[in-house]
Amino acid sequence: MVPIIQLFGIDVVRFSIDLLTLYSLFLVVSLTLNLEAGYAGIPNFGKVMFVAAGAAAAGSASGQLAAFVLMINTHGNYTGYIYQVIPQIDAALTHNPGLSIGILLFGMLVAAVVGAVLGFAASFPAIRLREDYLGMLLLAAAQFFQIILSGYEPIIGGTQGIEVPNVFGWFFGDEIGVRDVVVLLVLGAFALLVFVYCEKVVRSPLGRTLRAIRDSELASRSLGKNDVAIRRKVIVVASAISGMAGALLTFYLGSVGAETWTRVTWTFWIWVILILGGAANNAGVALGAFSFTLLLKAVDQVKFNFQPFIPVDVNWLEYIMFAALLIGILVVRPDGILPEKPTLTLPRSVLGHIMESSVNPVDDEKSQPAKQTI
Amino acid sequence: MVEAFVTDTIVYASLFGLMALGLTLTYLTTKVPNFAYGSFVTIGMYTAFALYRIQKISPYASAPIAFALGAVASVSMYLGVLRILSKRGSSLVALMIATLAVDIAFVGIFGIYSDYLTSRYAFIDSKQFYPIPDSFTLFGTAGIVYVAPISLGIVTLAVFLLLTQSKLGVAMRASVENPSLARVVGINVERVYVFAWLLAGGFAAMSGSYYVLWLPGGITGGSNLIVEIFAASVLGGLASIYGSVLGGLIIGASEVLVTKVALDQLGSWVGIYQKGIPLIIMVVTLLVLPKGITSIDWHRMFVKAYPSFASQLRRLYHSMAKLTRGES
Repeated sequence: MVPIIQLFGIDVVRFSIDLLTLYSLFLVVSLTLNLEAGYAGIPNFGKVMFVAAGAAAAGSASGQLAAFVLMINTHGNYTGYIYQVIPQIDAALTHNPGLSIGILLFGMLVAAVVGAVLGFAASFPAIRLREDYLGMLLLAAAQFFQIILSGYEPIIGGTQGIEVPNVFGWFFGDEIGVRDVVVLLVLGAFALLVFVYCEKVVRSPLGRTLRAIRDSELASRSLGKNDVAIRRKVIVVASAISGMAGALLTFYLGSVGAETWTRVTWTFWIWVILILGGAANNAGVALGAFSFTLLLKAVDQVKFNFQPFIPVDVNWLEYIMFAALLIGILVVRPDGILPEKPTLTLPRSVLGHIMESSVNPVDDEKSQPAKQTI
Repeated sequence: MVEAFVTDTIVYASLFGLMALGLTLTYLTTKVPNFAYGSFVTIGMYTAFALYRIQKISPYASAPIAFALGAVASVSMYLGVLRILSKRGSSLVALMIATLAVDIAFVGIFGIYSDYLTSRYAFIDSKQFYPIPDSFTLFGTAGIVYVAPISLGIVTLAVFLLLTQSKLGVAMRASVENPSLARVVGINVERVYVFAWLLAGGFAAMSGSYYVLWLPGGITGGSNLIVEIFAASVLGGLASIYGSVLGGLIIGASEVLVTKVALDQLGSWVGIYQKGIPLIIMVVTLLVLPKGITSIDWHRMFVKAYPSFASQLRRLYHSMAKLTRGES
């Protein structure tokens, strides 16, 4: 049972769980955007496409797999009979942790594969085009992708959407608070994993190569770096991770529809996080994602208190507010909260030792044999 | 009575020509793809909708008002956001994300305005509305079928005359070609850019107010058209005003005609993929002809290509003859 602690009329525990769940998702997607746009210099204005693709694929495939494994009759039309199929799956999953975890992992795998394939397709224009052309193309492609999702019913039932098996139901049953804690733990672990991975990548020789390609493609090419292959890898990996984030959100929400993923949330807000935190700085992005999510949730908490005094829907004011926030950051602090820094590739202690020996070369000369003079 | 797909093609192609012309004007001056451009179109849609529903003013009569509102929005976006950012040395990506932010803000503003229309005048359809009835018909066809292409023709001619015959137009071309040199000869480049943005926003809003005479409009009505508008502009090469008009005509016509053929041949399920056509054209253009249709050298392709083709044939013939004679 999750305790209830009230503070200023707000349930603090509930608020924190929601905040951290959303934070984990935003963190994952913004870290992948940071890898693409911050480090590799590929401005991905179609991020929503990769997240939504993973979500749709996972939402559809996991339920169909569950129905197949549990031998539930879908009458050959999974999305059409969704309201009869899902309750049967959920009932079976509450007593079957192994299958639940298997379906969760399967959904994430499918999402990663779909994301990677889309990323691979997107890499063809991305390695050829200039930033502005690429931005236009990806934005347009994402728009088209959403039209397909909303029109093509066999995947996720179009705009109406479908329900998704409850893979967290086996853990203490269906108690609402507990399920959310489990979801938070899963999402948090995933986000931590992605953060460590991204940090490892950017501190590796590959990370420095990415920056070299971003800053001077020609110079890096002259040093023998294959910029095309490296960029392609970055897009594929980033898109696969984005797809997995979408899959996790689907399992968390318990449903998926064509309008769950909007350009505002999964392209624009992710860019706000990146710019706010500081491009090409993972710690900055983590901080930016946290500040943004906190702001978003705080606004969500108070906005309905203001609703009676404002004649218009407060959600529209939120749109304008975040747009103004982004432009404000670009004007006042274009490098974000934590600007890009040269990465320290060696531990601090080793670096300190090197610095010392370079300042005091006398000690070194004593220990080494005398140099030959020419 | 003319067949529906013919009138569809005429209206669609003309309006996209008009929209692409405006987008290209903004791209030429600031070199930033303006993601908020679709919202300028929406301004026109709402101007036409509100004035028709409240005052019964026909969109033809309200088009100049739409032009003015679109121009104001466009100029304030340029002066209030883009110029400030580019003066601070922002990168291209930063400017692009700023235009996306402006688009989102505009959607918020349209949302507020539609809420206002609903609460003040009880227009329950103010978020998503059906086409406004046309105010006149000619030979059994709606007026917009004539007005749209005529407007496109007049605007293109006016822009052509402006750029070639007037001092301002020459200054504009100079500022686009080489801003620093234009400054040296005493052209106020900033003012020229403001004028270009004014025209762009005006054309967008004007085409938006015509658009709702034919097709439904709404809060994201204009933003949803950016696929077509960008495709048209890219097809025209993004740097050529006439190319963009041609691109808009091609995009609009091919979208309607290809969809019609596909609907007839394959059935109604292809209807949702309509927007795929401009996207495919855009991808193919970017990969095959990145500088657009105006970069094709037709003279070289058709006139000069023949001699070289003939010499290739001759070389082939000689090598074949050598082979048959047994030489190597």
